[in-house]
Amino acid sequence: MHQYDAVVIGAGNAGLTAATALQRGGSKTLLLEKHNIPGGCATSFVRGEFEFEVALHQLSGLGTAEKPFIMRKVFDTLGVLDKVEFIQEHSLYRLAVPGQVDITLPASWSGLKRTLVELFPAESDAIGRFLKLCETICLESFMTLPQARRSGSEATLKSMCPHYVEYGFQSAKAVIDSFFSDHTLKTVISAYWCYLGVPPSQIPFPDLAVMIYAYAAFKPWHIKGGSQAMSNALVESFLEAGGEVRFNCGAEKILTENGAVCGVTLESGETVRCKAVVSNASPLHTFNEMLDSEQPPLAIQQDMKSRRMGTSAVVIYMGLDCTPQELGVTTASSFIYETMDDEAIYRSMNSLEAPMGGMFTCYNFEDPDCAPAGKSQVVLVCLQYGDVWKDVAAEDYAATKYAFAERLIDMVAKVYPKLREHIEEVEVATPLTMMRYLNTPSGAIYGFRQSTEDSALLRERLKGVPGLYMAGSWTGMGGFQPTYMAGESTARAVLKHLKKAGEVQHV
Amino acid sequence: MSDFELLKTIKGYSEALAAKQALERSGSGFQEVKGAVRNAVVQLHPKRLPLVVSAIIDDTPSTKTLRVKAADGHRLPPFQAGQYINVFVDIDGVATARPYAISSSPLERDFYDLTVKRAEGGYVSHYLLDRVAPGERLLSSGPMGSFHYNPIFHGQDLVFIAGGSGSAPARSMLLNILERDQPLHFHMIYANSYSDDVIYAEQLRALAAEHANFTLDELISRPEPGYSGRSGRISSELLQTLLGPNLDGKMFYLCGPTPFNEACLAQLLALGVKRRRIRIEANGAPKAPQLNADWPAGVNVDDEVTIAVKGRGSFKARVGEPLLNSLERNGYSAENACRSGECSLCRIKLLSGAVHNPPEAHLRKSDRDFGWIYACVAFPTEDIEVLL
Repeated sequence: MHQYDAVVIGAGNAGLTAATALQRGGSKTLLLEKHNIPGGCATSFVRGEFEFEVALHQLSGLGTAEKPFIMRKVFDTLGVLDKVEFIQEHSLYRLAVPGQVDITLPASWSGLKRTLVELFPAESDAIGRFLKLCETICLESFMTLPQARRSGSEATLKSMCPHYVEYGFQSAKAVIDSFFSDHTLKTVISAYWCYLGVPPSQIPFPDLAVMIYAYAAFKPWHIKGGSQAMSNALVESFLEAGGEVRFNCGAEKILTENGAVCGVTLESGETVRCKAVVSNASPLHTFNEMLDSEQPPLAIQQDMKSRRMGTSAVVIYMGLDCTPQELGVTTASSFIYETMDDEAIYRSMNSLEAPMGGMFTCYNFEDPDCAPAGKSQVVLVCLQYGDVWKDVAAEDYAATKYAFAERLIDMVAKVYPKLREHIEEVEVATPLTMMRYLNTPSGAIYGFRQSTEDSALLRERLKGVPGLYMAGSWTGMGGFQPTYMAGESTARAVLKHLKKAGEVQHV
Repeated sequence: MSDFELLKTIKGYSEALAAKQALERSGSGFQEVKGAVRNAVVQLHPKRLPLVVSAIIDDTPSTKTLRVKAADGHRLPPFQAGQYINVFVDIDGVATARPYAISSSPLERDFYDLTVKRAEGGYVSHYLLDRVAPGERLLSSGPMGSFHYNPIFHGQDLVFIAGGSGSAPARSMLLNILERDQPLHFHMIYANSYSDDVIYAEQLRALAAEHANFTLDELISRPEPGYSGRSGRISSELLQTLLGPNLDGKMFYLCGPTPFNEACLAQLLALGVKRRRIRIEANGAPKAPQLNADWPAGVNVDDEVTIAVKGRGSFKARVGEPLLNSLERNGYSAENACRSGECSLCRIKLLSGAVHNPPEAHLRKSDRDFGWIYACVAFPTEDIEVLL
């Protein structure tokens, strides 16, 4: 029987960074992926002349070569920084509400302030204070709050994190309302909520603040060759370090002995032994279906009871036989709304009726290599909670999918009217597609719903089965940067565990 | 002070904690949705479908239709007309597979019809035609493929140019349109070599006579003496005659042998049809890869090379044989479905040596960069080592 130090289940972002960090950290690691390619969300697929990016819209946390930020260090540690090429996006986004608003924000911290002040001069003072608060909240969340918590002193917390103490658990809407009066300004500044699927009235202010600050200060990025290139680079680094990967091979069971992880049964029927398992699958699948015990540990059950399912998405991948300019594209990323009412947009995410808000990305606007010459790769997205597909009969699925896609295209075509004339390739992905490729309930793409009650400060690391670790969007924030980082940090915890287990054996 | 006491200093923390506790009281540990994901996915996309041959229908001298049902007696998964299943077979100890378009209507969920034409020098088609009898068990993939009608941009005026058994997906698309009474016009231009080898001839002619929205034009390239129908090959002139001067808004589907598809494509482009209005069904690995522009000089398809499978062994193979086939003949396997360079399931890593990736290989850019290949259409042009 094969023996590994660690088995990583799932080659999504966190699974890939965990496996690579584990193998490079000296532990013999087996990486399992039920599909034929690595990446989970971070994949691409080819139709005709086009290679479509599946999920990455704007990579955060990278910073520029001159002013690098944390992700460059993470990628360097994992041995992939020189294996991929990054492409900077020069705008944060264009927000277009036909007939009402059409504003583009630059990807620059000073430029963002300048643009907003020009557009909303009456609120210039509040804009300055608000952006300053976004910056400060980020610094406090990531730098000083962990220190203050270790001090255990209320006075220290209040003096080190005064803004976090005031705003850390307020909703984004409450904070924005307290700064601004212009409704358009409020809508424009909070558009990134559409990445999370939870409206400003329910997302914690720091979650929005960190997106505004991080994207503006450290820029939004694409990856040459798409996120698949990063997934492939991570596998390459993992293999170079001696790791073993199996595609088309999921995990069936996580085996325990005296309550601790001892092995994994693979889809092929083979069983391997290991001292630790990192699961990049959902905790529902991990604890309720893969773990070999009748019931998951009480603490896990308790934690899951307080969670609610997060959002999924409908995504339309389009290859067009026209240039971005012919289409009228002026920024890589656009948010497109039918209404200035965020709550109405949010309500539409819970139905198969016409969506009220969505996103549009033109990948070859900043990187011409993303489409053949003279053509364009565009992606239309609207977040949607997957339960609305539960009652669609299998035989009605295709028709329902196309009917909904037409509604999303209708909305986007109000801003990009030539869209329909140039279609050369189209694929539509629904929450069921996400379910198929991510193996997540309701096709959740970011794990559990990221509302204030979901905050990491209200939770502890999911423990309960020695040797079993969770890594991915379910135990932290969703999205690329958070999941890449989650896998890397989980690997550090596993290496510590393996080292300790090794010492015990030697005694 | 405990961490919890400390965090209570943050405004709103206690309220958020209370809200979390309320959720905990009303929520569940998701035990009740155990298996729900698997069940939902398997209805549409089963990885394997156990089938049983329920009947074999003689179509023409070269062709039979294998009617298959689900081995468990349940209804088969829905599919979009034009899609295929990959049929896995074990022929005298060699485990291999071939994709077949489903030729029956998608409204028929009790069986799939697989129309199999004897391929010249064929292997699996001969096995299915000569050695499979009713009652035989088969295993397949779920329905897959992107060669199907897409209402988002295909429009209402469809032209299907089929060669030989390329009519299998056309029949499914036609039946779908007629049975659902869809407001689409379907024009089938059906080319065959011999007049006695026209698959579904009577059914198609009867449907054309009965339905105003179905036009059938047949073409025979090797007419026997006395044949009075249309003969010859597909040409721009013929297409112009059959379709009229205005080709705007039509969507063209090409399905036949690869040279047939390529010739039709060239003729349509010459008539001014935009590439975006032409869909082509993939049709296996190229038969003559050495004719491709980037085929390495001095390499002969009959040369022998050594294929090493890391950690498992090695064997000799012909340069001109697709890698997946030689792997299978030598007892190795890789997941696969389209066997034409599109679905990417047989993606494996090339560790050393070189292969020829023909235009059929729809590789991702980064797969190319990191040495991943599609075994089904890769030709080893020197000794290689692969990772399975």
